[in-house]
Amino acid sequence: MTVDPASFPLVERGRQYEDFADGDTYEHHWGRTITDGDATLFAALTLSYNPLYFNAERARGEGHPDLVVHPMLALCTVVGLSVEDLSEAGGPFLGIDDVTFHRPVYPGDTLSARSVVVDRRESGKRPGDGIVTWHTQGHNQRGELVVELRRTNLVRKREAA
Amino acid sequence: MTYFEDFAVGDRMRHFRGSTIHEVEGQLLAKLVMNSAQGHFNEDFMAKTPFGQRIVFGLITASTVIGLATQDTAEDAIAELGLQRIRFRSPVVHGDTVYAATEVLETSPAPDRPDAGVVRFKHWGFKPDCTVVFEGERTVLLKRRNPLDQENA
Repeated sequence: MTVDPASFPLVERGRQYEDFADGDTYEHHWGRTITDGDATLFAALTLSYNPLYFNAERARGEGHPDLVVHPMLALCTVVGLSVEDLSEAGGPFLGIDDVTFHRPVYPGDTLSARSVVVDRRESGKRPGDGIVTWHTQGHNQRGELVVELRRTNLVRKREAA
Repeated sequence: MTYFEDFAVGDRMRHFRGSTIHEVEGQLLAKLVMNSAQGHFNEDFMAKTPFGQRIVFGLITASTVIGLATQDTAEDAIAELGLQRIRFRSPVVHGDTVYAATEVLETSPAPDRPDAGVVRFKHWGFKPDCTVVFEGERTVLLKRRNPLDQENA
């Protein structure tokens, strides 16, 4: 038995270059609570051997209330939360600049992300693509800024599709 | 132990451990951090593109390279302060092994922290054939072995 996928309309995801305008703001709607398991798994898999990230007693000894969530996990999560609005349609990651880790994240904190389009231009080398830069901020459940960054991606143009 | 005084501008080091990026480092962590781009986790979808297979989320590569450098640069760091000029120079796919190398770019006093200093590192991530997959700068707050007198801070 087989199914004919074309008999079901595809629910499209992802935006293209023409969908972004300078100053557009996206409130990425999911949010993510960072659990103890997330924090420990991430630190272990990335071989991040600073005990703040995997030894709660050591972290408390340094004045933290609990394990510290690796700042790279906070960054990855905030960027991850932004993908469905900004870059799910694909197009290579060109770079990230101006990342600032403003305050620690602890297990149980809930991160939310928001992005603003700060630059968009044609790609000289690839006529089918544009280049878009977003300023993305991650906040915790108290509305405190945790991390911010500028991300630049190649984004497909609609007429090229 | 890693202290502020252990680093001087121009110091270079190549970190001992590499890490092979497999399913649990690549697609698992991409999903864990809510990255919904299926190029990171749908092999069938990617087989129909010029890449031919899934690509590892760049920030997981970055996190792995920084992780590989952590024991030698920040085992006792107080905090990670920030990153600059993060660039992904070539794609990483599941099965690739990544190594890390580091150069000290700058050391400076920490504002308001006579017990600490700031070091800016440049990191490179590379494959066994020496292809660079990642480069970027990272700023870390490190304890001083010998805290400054308050008036000198």
